Amino acid sequence: MFEFFFKYRPILFEEGVFAFRPTVATYVATILVLVAGVITFRTYQLVRANSRPVDRAVLTGIRFLVLALLVFCLFRPVLVVSRVMPQQNFLGVLIDDTRSMQIADRDGETRAAFVTRQFGGANSQILESLADRFAVRLFSFSSDTNRIESVDTLTYDGTQTHLGQALTRAHEELAGVPLSGLVVVSDGADNADGLPPDSLMPLQAAGVPVFTVGLGREAYTRDIQLTRVDTPRSVLRGAALVVDVIVAQTGYEGQRVSLQVEDEGRIVADEPLILPEDGEPTTVRVRFSATDAGPRLFSFRISPQPGEMVTQNNVRNALIVVEDTREKVLYFEGEPRWEVKFLRRAIDEDDNLELAVLQRTAENKFMRMGVEDAEDLAGGFPRTREELFKYRALILGGIEANHFTPDQLRMISDFVSERGGGLLMLGSRRSFAEGGYAGTPVADVLPVMLDEVTADGEAAFFIETDVRPTRPGASHPATQIAENEEASVTRWPELPPITLVNEIRDVKPGATTLLTSGDQSLVVLAFQRYGAGKALAFPVQDTWMWQMHADIDVEDQTHETLWRRLLRWMVDGVPDQVVVATPQDRVELDESFELTAEVDDANYEEINTSQVSAWITDPDDQLLEIPMDWTADRDGEYSARFTPRKGGLYEVRVEASNDGELLGSDTTYLRVAPSESEFYDSTRRTPLLERVAEETGGRFYTADTVDSLADDIQTVGGGVTVVEELDLWDLPGLLVLFVLLVLGEWGYRRVRGLA
Amino acid sequence: MTTAAKRRRVVVVLLVLLAAGAGLAGRGSEADTDTDTDRVSGPKHFDGRFVFARIRYADGYAGGGFAYRQDLPWAHDYPRAERNLMRILESITFVDPYLGEDGGTILKLDNPDLFRYPFAYMSEPGYWNLSEAEAAGLRSYLLKGGFLIFDDFHSDIHWYNLETQMRRVLPELRWLELEASHPVYHSFFDIDSLDYQEAYPGYTPMFFGLFEENDPDGRLLAVANHNNDIGEYWEYSMTGWLPIDLSNEAFKLGVNYIMYALTH
Repeated sequence: MFEFFFKYRPILFEEGVFAFRPTVATYVATILVLVAGVITFRTYQLVRANSRPVDRAVLTGIRFLVLALLVFCLFRPVLVVSRVMPQQNFLGVLIDDTRSMQIADRDGETRAAFVTRQFGGANSQILESLADRFAVRLFSFSSDTNRIESVDTLTYDGTQTHLGQALTRAHEELAGVPLSGLVVVSDGADNADGLPPDSLMPLQAAGVPVFTVGLGREAYTRDIQLTRVDTPRSVLRGAALVVDVIVAQTGYEGQRVSLQVEDEGRIVADEPLILPEDGEPTTVRVRFSATDAGPRLFSFRISPQPGEMVTQNNVRNALIVVEDTREKVLYFEGEPRWEVKFLRRAIDEDDNLELAVLQRTAENKFMRMGVEDAEDLAGGFPRTREELFKYRALILGGIEANHFTPDQLRMISDFVSERGGGLLMLGSRRSFAEGGYAGTPVADVLPVMLDEVTADGEAAFFIETDVRPTRPGASHPATQIAENEEASVTRWPELPPITLVNEIRDVKPGATTLLTSGDQSLVVLAFQRYGAGKALAFPVQDTWMWQMHADIDVEDQTHETLWRRLLRWMVDGVPDQVVVATPQDRVELDESFELTAEVDDANYEEINTSQVSAWITDPDDQLLEIPMDWTADRDGEYSARFTPRKGGLYEVRVEASNDGELLGSDTTYLRVAPSESEFYDSTRRTPLLERVAEETGGRFYTADTVDSLADDIQTVGGGVTVVEELDLWDLPGLLVLFVLLVLGEWGYRRVRGLA
Repeated sequence: MTTAAKRRRVVVVLLVLLAAGAGLAGRGSEADTDTDTDRVSGPKHFDGRFVFARIRYADGYAGGGFAYRQDLPWAHDYPRAERNLMRILESITFVDPYLGEDGGTILKLDNPDLFRYPFAYMSEPGYWNLSEAEAAGLRSYLLKGGFLIFDDFHSDIHWYNLETQMRRVLPELRWLELEASHPVYHSFFDIDSLDYQEAYPGYTPMFFGLFEENDPDGRLLAVANHNNDIGEYWEYSMTGWLPIDLSNEAFKLGVNYIMYALTH
């Protein structure tokens, strides 16, 4: 329509400069027109007939407008535009070669099919029109950018979109030739490098506009997506995992589906859910156990629903290393009491927890159970950091603070804050404030406030109470005592009452209360992160009641489950002396990644001078040693780069030694496999593509507006250009205006009876 | 004096002493007249402390002994035995026991309160006769983590009664003889020999245990001091009527049993 009236496309008016090109004849004609105008004016002044003043004013005005239009045209208005010289310039066309281009969301046509149709060959309309004007150079881009001769060579199996890198590469490759611009044909989905801020600067500086063609829909009408799944990289075998899965959908609001978790193909959880409102993500909490040791691929999936546009985003995979180790826990009990017996029994059959018990039975007399050898803990509670730090968790039972030396109290604090271990203090008249811990370094670590003890003897605090989980406690992995959250929440208040002798009512800021007394006035279980570790307060003196009480069935496993999960949560994530890390659990084939390791000595102080090697076993069991160097950025941090050349599972074992003595080792696993991320959030990223075009002086198109691409580039593009003047006097729109004015005058006269 | 004459004389002396001891025991039991009620004793309310629990039972006839008299076999040595043992326990260990004059609590095996006290003591199991409810209660008690001492009984007849009753409780378990090397005899004191002086003349003291799943390396559920009466030594330890060494050994056994029960 615009071009019908104005002869040229809008972009010419946007880019062009308006000017007049009058000649001598123009001025002569103008004078004649002005004379005609004066005559007109005088005539309307003199010829009154039966006209009113307003009629004369209107008719004079219309006549003047007609004459003004005539003068405008006589002055020969032109649009001065700079036009790219045909066939004198190059044009880079970058085609997205990633997996999201396989999505069929345009009337059943895939994005790739559109590319083939429009940029595919001799009969492709867009490519043809571009080739008429430019020397076209095609590029494909995904994680790499490559020159291609034809889009027929595209495979659409790239797993990452590096748009910024692609623009830079294409610009560099076409640096020596007159370049009119770059065309990017993409959906903009999963732009892995997030378009670095400076990636457009060279293009801006060189005046190379980028024309972006956005493919795909901006929103799907029917789709379910697992937006995010947060899983730990490693867990202890048998661990009860509580994983949050974020689910988003459009078009299936209110529908009942189930979220399944598979451990290497075996279904280990099946959580029903009702899909949320369109576009509103919801969090689904799913529970399952990691029962088989080794690197395990867990899949989280919702079955594809009828009519779903993208089904590949219904699944998320996570590699979890299920450790089959025995984690050492030290329980120091200062008073012979039933907790020792029942706690030992509770975790006796847990193959992944190793409980060493140091039981003070009398003054300077200790009973040791579960120790490594005759020397282990023979002198009582550890006196050196090395001796204590070999444990991952420490339970302090009824042991008063002044049993410890100041150094030992500091060491217990450091066990949490520096070594990253877990500390749990049990209730007793010898623990917490009653045990004299207020003001000690251990009190700083504990998650609860230690108030002054005001009464003792008969008046000492004592209460028998049942227990309730708080809102965080309802779903916390440490307090899951039944097969699911609902059953666990129901079970807690049903348990027999326990007794408390420590009056603890307040937790510290930042601490989390998991269990309270029945009236919610007293803290029963709370924790806080402290430094690198975590500390728990569990001021109950007889959790054994949950095993022994008459109301508890002989076969009941609540007490066992509680202690196993509590201790497993305490030791979870507690670091070893050597900790290896990779940026993620999956990398692309031939994608270089950085391997890092943190190395501590036996006192958990960082070492920068140790010899660190990574032993990498590839999927074909080929072993490769890579030395790792201290990064110099952080104490105790070593790194190396590695590029996997085979797809499959890699084992990465890092060993560190110092002066020939092995400090420790750690193993992790890594999948080398194509990413599925191209199918997540795979709708068209219009804002990104618009920004690229806008910031470089180009234009943004969709599949429906791309027809004008070639003409626009010719107008806007750089390279070898020529200035053209486009006449405007013969615009159809002006003729239409002229006719309308004349007809308007005639019509007015008819209506007013002046004709 | 010939060896045979010497032996006869020893037997006679022991019998006299036994008779005297039996009479004293009868007079000394403060629970003698409490025959009908489920006696209320021990702490006013459960407070988490260690409490000695004596098992009260309806006695049956196991042949001979004291059953013909107005005597309560389950109450033998009560309360001085447990009172003295608890005082010893409190003074030499860090256990914080209930120290009331009654020495502990008295409960029947079908009383739900028993489950608050995972250490229990039964005297004269030779006269013990279980009801079905008691059998179920004891089975549950032991499997959940309770520990029971059988003491103050002798002869094959009494042993037979104990075996018979326990077969109703835990038919799958068998009594295994305990050696001095077992951890229960080293849980606090190191008891290197189980060769104790005869508490019942002519009967050699022996120690048997019931183990979880009949595994001698597993948890001990119950100990039977057969042909022995360590409760008697606890009771008379403060009177001077019995040798100090024997009382000491009895206390060592008692403390070790408790310490083992608390930790295993």
